[in-house]
Amino acid sequence: MKVTRREFMKYCTLSAAALGLTSALGPLERVLANPGSPPILWLKGAGCTGCTVSLANLISGSAPVDVADLLINTIDLEYHPTLMGAAGDASTQIINDVSAGTFILVVEGAIPKKFNGTTCTIYEQDGIPVTALSAVQTLAPLAAHVLSVGTCASFGGIAGASPNPTIAKAVSDITNVDPYNIEPINIPGCPPHPDWIVWTIANLLAENPIDLDVYNRPTALYGATVHSQCSRQTAPRANSLNDTGCCTNSLGCKGRMTFADCPTRKWNNGVNWCVGTIGPDGNGADSLCQGCTENGFPDEFAPLFSTMAVAPMHDGFEPQNHCLGCHHGPEGGFED
Amino acid sequence: MATITIVDPVTRIEGHMKVQVTIDTVDNVQQVTDAQCSGTQFRGFELILQGRDPLDAPYLTERICGVCPVSHGMASTKALESAAGLTIPTDARILRNLVLGSNFIASHILHFYLLASLDYVAPPPSAPWTSCWNVDMRDPTSLSQIAVNFVTAVTMRREAQEMAAIFGGRMPSPPAFQAGGFTTKPTSSMISAFTSYLNNLITFINNNYIPDVQLLQSIYPDYSSIGKGPGNLLSYGVFDLDDTGSPDKLLDRGYIFDSMPGNVQPVSIDNIKEHVTYSWYDDSTNNQNPANGSTVIVDPSTKTNAYSWLKAPRYHGKPMECGPLARMWINGDYSNGISVMDRHMARALEALKIGNAMNQWLGELSTGGNVFSTFNTPYDASGAGLTEAPRGALGHWVSTTVDGSSPVSGPAIDNYQVLTPTCWNASPKDSRGNRGPMERALIGTAVSDPEQPIEVLRVIHSFDPCLSCAVHVMRPEGKPVVVVNAGVRP
Repeated sequence: MKVTRREFMKYCTLSAAALGLTSALGPLERVLANPGSPPILWLKGAGCTGCTVSLANLISGSAPVDVADLLINTIDLEYHPTLMGAAGDASTQIINDVSAGTFILVVEGAIPKKFNGTTCTIYEQDGIPVTALSAVQTLAPLAAHVLSVGTCASFGGIAGASPNPTIAKAVSDITNVDPYNIEPINIPGCPPHPDWIVWTIANLLAENPIDLDVYNRPTALYGATVHSQCSRQTAPRANSLNDTGCCTNSLGCKGRMTFADCPTRKWNNGVNWCVGTIGPDGNGADSLCQGCTENGFPDEFAPLFSTMAVAPMHDGFEPQNHCLGCHHGPEGGFED
Repeated sequence: MATITIVDPVTRIEGHMKVQVTIDTVDNVQQVTDAQCSGTQFRGFELILQGRDPLDAPYLTERICGVCPVSHGMASTKALESAAGLTIPTDARILRNLVLGSNFIASHILHFYLLASLDYVAPPPSAPWTSCWNVDMRDPTSLSQIAVNFVTAVTMRREAQEMAAIFGGRMPSPPAFQAGGFTTKPTSSMISAFTSYLNNLITFINNNYIPDVQLLQSIYPDYSSIGKGPGNLLSYGVFDLDDTGSPDKLLDRGYIFDSMPGNVQPVSIDNIKEHVTYSWYDDSTNNQNPANGSTVIVDPSTKTNAYSWLKAPRYHGKPMECGPLARMWINGDYSNGISVMDRHMARALEALKIGNAMNQWLGELSTGGNVFSTFNTPYDASGAGLTEAPRGALGHWVSTTVDGSSPVSGPAIDNYQVLTPTCWNASPKDSRGNRGPMERALIGTAVSDPEQPIEVLRVIHSFDPCLSCAVHVMRPEGKPVVVVNAGVRP
């Protein structure tokens, strides 16, 4: 950060006092607690800004308690095109400065290769337009860690859906080849839950080892299927979207082949999630999981609101003991 | 001698965008004399949707924009239902309005505080707010009120998203918007949680947001006459208030030319044509109506007169501004003027108007009522879904196939076209050479320092552009140039 601790505390104290938050000054003491943490450059490729919007929905009982706490007190987010103050040359100079040292590269959005990447030009440097493709090729090899945030960056996602008009690729498709040979950590989701993003960054900053699955997703976050955590496993099957409190597998729910903790973590401060939890105050969204954290979303799960889609059993997906509670086959094996 | 300034990227917008300004001294005032706005991202949603199950369109098109996904869900479901001639149940209409209204409030608060205010109020000297230009920052003592409310605004926009998720399922990209209706069945505890969020937000809008815009307006009075643009305003209208085929709306549909109050005309979609002369699309697709439009991209290196991935929509051949100011003006709620500050003021007042209306709609919502009508996708049908996103007029057009085709057993999407608000506002020149609204608004804007053209940022941000990346200010003929000092600076 380019500010002294004294200057920053003065600003925070002023703001907090004016807000009547003097008692909340404790957390502010964490400011610059670890001035050695690497800064973060957040690039946006072909995407919708939804991952950033989701990050801004962060809310937690422990630090960082929200996105303001995250940005002010926890991480050093030097470049983020939606959130940053600087514009133009002043902003791209930050990329030059930060990439000269140790940093974490976060990419939101897919990387288009059509027309040499020019369907997604993200800034100019020294008068030369820079595509998302060339930015990743330049910056990923310099980064201490590369994080693909969202399903577009992780697997191609919506931007790479058939017929993939812009030849949009996952970040890993660009970086896991010679001469880069870099495997990013993937934090998929369309959008990803803010907790998933923050958990991963926090563990990288703390230099904790992160266990990854075959799709390079943290197993702590993507270790079990949505179905295996769903309150509707034994509920009657829905006949239409007008039904409530039913299992929507019969309408095309992809919870059985989707790895994520949405049913237990829930979304937006716990108010709901795509399928919804059966409860005394209602049954939530009553919609379907569409597999948005998976490699192959959306094409392998389409038509989305249909059981016609034959989504593959992905590598790493094995019937687990608890599945047999609902899926007894004739010989005691696994069956729908 | 002209100075050509590049700001690339222009940050604090949604999307990838580029603007090129020429700055010259005219009548002793250094000002913008030419401007080009470029969308620098193309994803091809219209191509991706062809051949898919029409029922998937709302879910997929919500992913066009993470900031205004609900507007796309609304436009897409309306397009499909218009193709099928289906009217959704009353409670479904109300639930959609409540989620869309939440999205408007979240987006308006996000825009004013997190995106626009930093053009006027120096941010904390810490990442991600370092290296700001900090030019022409007036009366920081008075404006520190806005800096303090910035932190509250972060909470408020998050809570508006949580409010949307109560019925929408989650935010962004709510799964509850389906052709035929809505999936969530409201309960009294959901309604009371929603009401509690809404009352907090209305209090914030009344006590902080609107007063903060008024304060900014009083300290920057010159911006009430800067950045007018063409003065042509367009609104498709939004928030249907009844279940008839042509419902009354909270904010009416209409258009006016030359900002003539009381002269609002009815909108006919047939009068919309999209020009591609200065866009990276094949010239054979020029001047098409979006209902039968096509999307044929060309390699930018082979069409050098073009400078944008945005097409240039025109109404009766004219560039149209859309957004909160256009909606409030056409609805008779605002007529102060058209300028940078008027756009901010109309946006804040609209947030209040929508919030108050939502309170009334909550009272009209029943529990246990029907929220879904069976939707059968028709063969060989077409429909339009016209609504508004927080930043302006949004239209989806869909047509379905004559026969079933793989992988869909029934009708598939034959053609899908999307015309977004920022396509109107940030459009490039049309085939007659007329500039788009944002380009026009930049012309004549006085600039004190061509190396740090904060005035240009203020004009651009007032439109709340959404291209899902950044604005680049670049030079004429697309020549790559760094910021040029041509002797106009002391």
